Amino acid sequence: MDVLVCVKQVPDPETKLRVAPSGKALDTDGVKFTINNTYDEAMVEEALRMKEEFGFTSVRALSVGPARAEEALRATLAMGADEAVLVETPPGMELDPLFTARLLAAAAADIPHDLVLVGRHAQDDEAGAVGSALGEYLGLPSYSFVTELTPVAASHQLKMRRYLEGGEEVFSGPFPAVLSILKGAKDPRTPTLPNILKARKKPLKKIPVKDLEAKVSVLKGGFQPTSAVTSFTLPPPRSGAKMLEFQTPEEAATKLLKVLKEEAKVL
Amino acid sequence: MAIDFELTQEQKELQELARRFARDVMAPRAAKADKLGEFPEDVYRKAWELGLMNLNVPTEFGGSGLGELDQCIITEELAYACGGMTTSISANCLALQPINLAATKEQKERLLKPFCASYNLASFALTEPSGGSDVASMKTTLKREGDEYVINGEKVFITNAPHASIYTLFATVDAARRHKGVTAIVVPRNTPGITVGKDEDKLGHRASATSSITFENARVPVANRLGEEGDGFKIAMNTLDSTRTPIGALATGIARAALDHAAKYSLQRSSFGKPIGEHQAIALKLADMAQKVTAARLLVWYSAWLADQGKPVPMESSIAKCFASDSAMEVANEAIQVFGGYGYMREYPVEKLLRDAKLTQIYEGSNEIQRLVIAKELLKRFA
Ligand SMILES: Cc1cc2nc3c(=O)[nH]c(=O)nc-3n(C[C@H](O)[C@H](O)[C@H](O)COP(=O)(O)OP(=O)(O)OC[C@H]3O[C@@H](n4cnc5c(N)ncnc54)[C@H](O)[C@@H]3O)c2cc1C
Repeated sequence: MDVLVCVKQVPDPETKLRVAPSGKALDTDGVKFTINNTYDEAMVEEALRMKEEFGFTSVRALSVGPARAEEALRATLAMGADEAVLVETPPGMELDPLFTARLLAAAAADIPHDLVLVGRHAQDDEAGAVGSALGEYLGLPSYSFVTELTPVAASHQLKMRRYLEGGEEVFSGPFPAVLSILKGAKDPRTPTLPNILKARKKPLKKIPVKDLEAKVSVLKGGFQPTSAVTSFTLPPPRSGAKMLEFQTPEEAATKLLKVLKEEAKVL
Repeated sequence: MAIDFELTQEQKELQELARRFARDVMAPRAAKADKLGEFPEDVYRKAWELGLMNLNVPTEFGGSGLGELDQCIITEELAYACGGMTTSISANCLALQPINLAATKEQKERLLKPFCASYNLASFALTEPSGGSDVASMKTTLKREGDEYVINGEKVFITNAPHASIYTLFATVDAARRHKGVTAIVVPRNTPGITVGKDEDKLGHRASATSSITFENARVPVANRLGEEGDGFKIAMNTLDSTRTPIGALATGIARAALDHAAKYSLQRSSFGKPIGEHQAIALKLADMAQKVTAARLLVWYSAWLADQGKPVPMESSIAKCFASDSAMEVANEAIQVFGGYGYMREYPVEKLLRDAKLTQIYEGSNEIQRLVIAKELLKRFA
């Protein structure tokens, strides 16, 4: 079995974000990018766990993004993936979830895969649309928000778990398939220092996005974004927290109750 | 374009690994370990698991095989979370460096490999009760009897001594020969005749353990000697030459933590109708602190970079260590000032930084000794 994991590099959650002068995107100038999307880390862990538990042949990583996205792929290799492919976009190239899915599908066509895994969503645009669209473009079934999966190779079926509000669902379906992973069976591993150093030497292939133009053009939607952002705003700054001064727990409770009733009006 | 301050991708990843470990594993334990003087062994074990421990040991013997610059990048990140834990983690580098530098292949296979293959701590045992700065006057003796040396004497202030499984010991085969008598030998902790003293109650670095080691007729095979008799002084000095710059990085991490705490607090705390950071007296302080942190890091990186090029760095490493540790002390001191009364309280994180910074001016060659070295090297050029 071969697993393909699709990862996305996102801005560091601790970085200060600004809107670009166009008003339609984040200003990536001077923004620190984390090595990887946290949801992707959970997904990659699930892929590696399966590889180790079921003796899969390989875990390969794929990303669409600018040159710096190589960092996300190296981090995935450091976690334990075997090879990586970067579909490299030129600076300023606009992508939306569906266009990204088309590019991933075109690249994935040349990479062996029985399972294609994506994170539940990216921390930055939170669209969560790539997985289902990718299934569509690859002509594969897609399953979303899976928490743990067990492949049954003989019957080409997957046993999957999914958390529901207050419960859990166990279901099955055929593979090859595309899955969006909510959370794996294990917490994502931290790459060790020796593995970070080894990851440098693992194969990482870069494909200029132009090379996929012919393949993507024949897909519905073509070689361009399907949707366009019209405006982009940051949430209004939150007003400061209020500190209550108190001497005794009783006083704290009384004051808190008063604020909740009179100012916050939640009681 | 001969100068390039950009870290390589690999260095950024090592930095990120260390930063995450520091933030997620070390930082949450720092305040309590400091308060209670605990030795958080699980943190150290985890550091070993991630490969953050034996950074300077070549990979063929089970270490991480990093150069000095990489070590400095990692050390700064760790010390940002806790100076004391970083001292205990990097004590292995200090203790193992004599083996890296002077051991035969056979000794490395026998002493380093099994040591690095599992979680183990080591101690570098040089300082004696009668003096740390004047190494050549050491009194601990090595007396050869057949295939063994018999060790007698006492070492003090030895980091990790209560928890280490091996000691790299410096002792003399003939005190009259001063530095020419100093000899290095690897001593297993379980050698009969070794007594480890009480864990010292310290001002700072309280998550690290420090104690004395007494040797009473402790017998160690001659096969554990590093180099020849009389090579020990040189081995110790060469070791300290390569660990001094990382101590500068450790101090830089403490200073950066102090600066960050102070800068954040200066925007939260208001007086006279505006954040204190907008009062010029505080703003100028922060600017001075930022200069010191930045300069310290650059001096550390420069010295480490030179060392990685194989160049001798007696002056540069002393400058880096001395400047960074003095800066850490000054920056931590000013951070407390920015916090006002709160800064003086144990409940806030900055007073610990001052206590932790202080040690960096003392150990691995006091700053007085560093200044002597710097002046000596400087004056050589004009003599
Ligand atoms: C927490 C901690 C951990 C330590 N860990 C280790 C360890 O793992 N291994 C180890 O071997 N040692 C360790 N040390 C010892 C440390 O390296 C020594 O304390 C240090 O080298 C100073 O030696 P000393 O304390 O004997 O001071 P002394 O040498 O007695 O010096 C006292 C003062 O005189 C100054 N002085 C001395 N000589 C001169 C001179 N010629 N000119 C000007 N000033 C001078 C010194 O700078 C200092 O200010 C540790 C110390 C501490 C506090």
